[in-house]
Amino acid sequence: MKNLLKELCLADSISGDEIEIRNIIIEKIKDFCEYRIDPLGNLICFRKGKKTPDKKLMICAHMDEVGFIVTAIRPDGTLLFDMVGGVDPSVTIGRQVKVGKNRIYGVVGSTAVHNLSREQREKLPEMKNMYIDIGAESKEDAEKYVNLGDCIYFESEFAELGENRIKSKAIDDRAGCAIMINLIREEPEYDTYFVFNVQEEIGLRGSRVSAFSLQPDFAIVLESTTASDIDGVCGAKKVCSLGSGSVVSFMDRSTVYDRQLYKLAFDIAKEENLPCQTKTMIAGGNDAGAIHITGKGIRTVAVSVPCRYLHSASCVIEESDFKNSYLLVKTLSKRILEI
Amino acid sequence: MNIKGTLFKLSETSGASGDETNVSELALGMLKQYCPDARITNGNVIGNFGKFKEELPLLVLDAHIDQIGMIVTYITDDGFVKIGNIGGIDRRLLPAQPVVIHGKKDVKGVICSVPPHLTSNGKEVLSFDDTAIDTGMTKSELDEIISLGDTITFDVKCHELLNSRVTGGAFDDRSGIVSILYALECLKDKKTAYNVTVIFSSQEELGERGAKIGAFEINPDIALAVDVSFAYAQGEDENKCGYLGKGAMIGVSPSLSRKISDKLINTAKENNIPYQIEVMNGLTSTNADRYAVNREGAEVCTVSIPLRNMHTPVEVIDLKDVELTGKLIAEFITE
Repeated sequence: MKNLLKELCLADSISGDEIEIRNIIIEKIKDFCEYRIDPLGNLICFRKGKKTPDKKLMICAHMDEVGFIVTAIRPDGTLLFDMVGGVDPSVTIGRQVKVGKNRIYGVVGSTAVHNLSREQREKLPEMKNMYIDIGAESKEDAEKYVNLGDCIYFESEFAELGENRIKSKAIDDRAGCAIMINLIREEPEYDTYFVFNVQEEIGLRGSRVSAFSLQPDFAIVLESTTASDIDGVCGAKKVCSLGSGSVVSFMDRSTVYDRQLYKLAFDIAKEENLPCQTKTMIAGGNDAGAIHITGKGIRTVAVSVPCRYLHSASCVIEESDFKNSYLLVKTLSKRILEI
Repeated sequence: MNIKGTLFKLSETSGASGDETNVSELALGMLKQYCPDARITNGNVIGNFGKFKEELPLLVLDAHIDQIGMIVTYITDDGFVKIGNIGGIDRRLLPAQPVVIHGKKDVKGVICSVPPHLTSNGKEVLSFDDTAIDTGMTKSELDEIISLGDTITFDVKCHELLNSRVTGGAFDDRSGIVSILYALECLKDKKTAYNVTVIFSSQEELGERGAKIGAFEINPDIALAVDVSFAYAQGEDENKCGYLGKGAMIGVSPSLSRKISDKLINTAKENNIPYQIEVMNGLTSTNADRYAVNREGAEVCTVSIPLRNMHTPVEVIDLKDVELTGKLIAEFITE
């Protein structure tokens, strides 16, 4: 499962341009299910199970990752850019990136620390003061390689940290995609729809239309969610912790989750001895926000992998949480249809 | 000589100030090709080029071998590694930055980044006291491999950009090392106007400490500090910067020898080597400051490679400048 996650994380696909990741996913699942691609680019799969249930279940995860887009080319050949999805300037400054279809290397440059005033050194960086340097000598030179609107991706190594942890870009939400691919490749108990959504990071766009087109009775959203169990943070502010299992939250900024499904997830975790935790702050949001109020309403639960430094080139997760989430969703997807 | 390959190899080998052994040994091997007697003395890599001739003045070519970095100060019960800085680090770019801790073996980690829901009130950049490294290991696992005082560098691979530009970490001042090696390559079999000693000096980033003792040991008449300086980019003062790709920046400053500055400029002109002038108004914050006032004094000048994003993991230089700097030095030394 780790190799699969690596392949998915290293695919470059920011919101609105998910072709690369989608093609990789299709290769992995095409022999196991029927699939189609909707007008927005969502990959909608139907996996036949052992039995056909009365109700319809949709499991989904989003394929897109956060990144940037080229907005202008300056006379000196450097690129101006804007973020795609919520990226903190502090994790943008001083990074390597890749630009456009040819994946030209670039860096996010900034004024040398030597030339900053005392106040400037203490001030958080802002996107408007950053630029990308691809080595071009002039605007004309840059235009040979880069077009306005080109996607910009974080350059990141997929690395193991210690025995149990993984560091990479785009774990949000390739972790969810990897879990779904595994579930599709096994024969589920019941017929199930699996959706790989686009454009989650710019406002839950893909899930809105895929949920509408499927109109399921139940939805399980697979996500990666912010864990802040880092040095100096205590109690509720950790929100959730690495190594403490899947995160099933009762409420976040976009959804109050179905109470019965929330409880069912924890009951299963207890029965199967899988670690499971909830969030200790009302924070974040995911495709559930769009899905649960689609059509006449869809009963929705989310299962997330806790992830540190979420929207950066160095997301960190613990492998056990990733595996436990897969195990939990496997049982949950069966039991949800037996309610 | 493969300038790019040599630079990438040197840049991807660690050597934070005071812990330069890895990169010093690599550089020593490279230097021995030109200076068979090269050695490491008190942290400095020192080698003599060519046959010593009594009648010639002694010239030192200096580039610093160390790089900025961080140092392990404490390991918390939760396994977070607390750190201090080695040299001038831009703390604004630390969150979520990948690093390597050089313990008994190298340990990869990520500098903790505080998520937005906890920073809504804080508008300030974190101090080193509030910064920690996440290694994915427990305290007891870390205690086996990492000790207080181990050094840390950014985890960065070099990449080619467009044209002859490249990015990586520690080009300050590994590119200077490469320029000197290239100059020696150009000087092979040539008659020199000086006795030449090369010093790849340690601890420049902590106040030119290696150069201080290296200068005392070698006692040169003339010294060229081959370092990097600011290349113009957005956010920099264009009047105080050089440009990428336009050649070495020759220093002119009250603390430098005008005679040597002029001689470098004339050498560039006579040989049609592109160059730029870098005017400073006092000390240069390079090793030149040390050589000038060593023992009874020396004639010194700076020869700098323009560089963008100094002291970050995304330094950018133009390989042309490394070559042009090496050429200029070689012509300067040639009889």
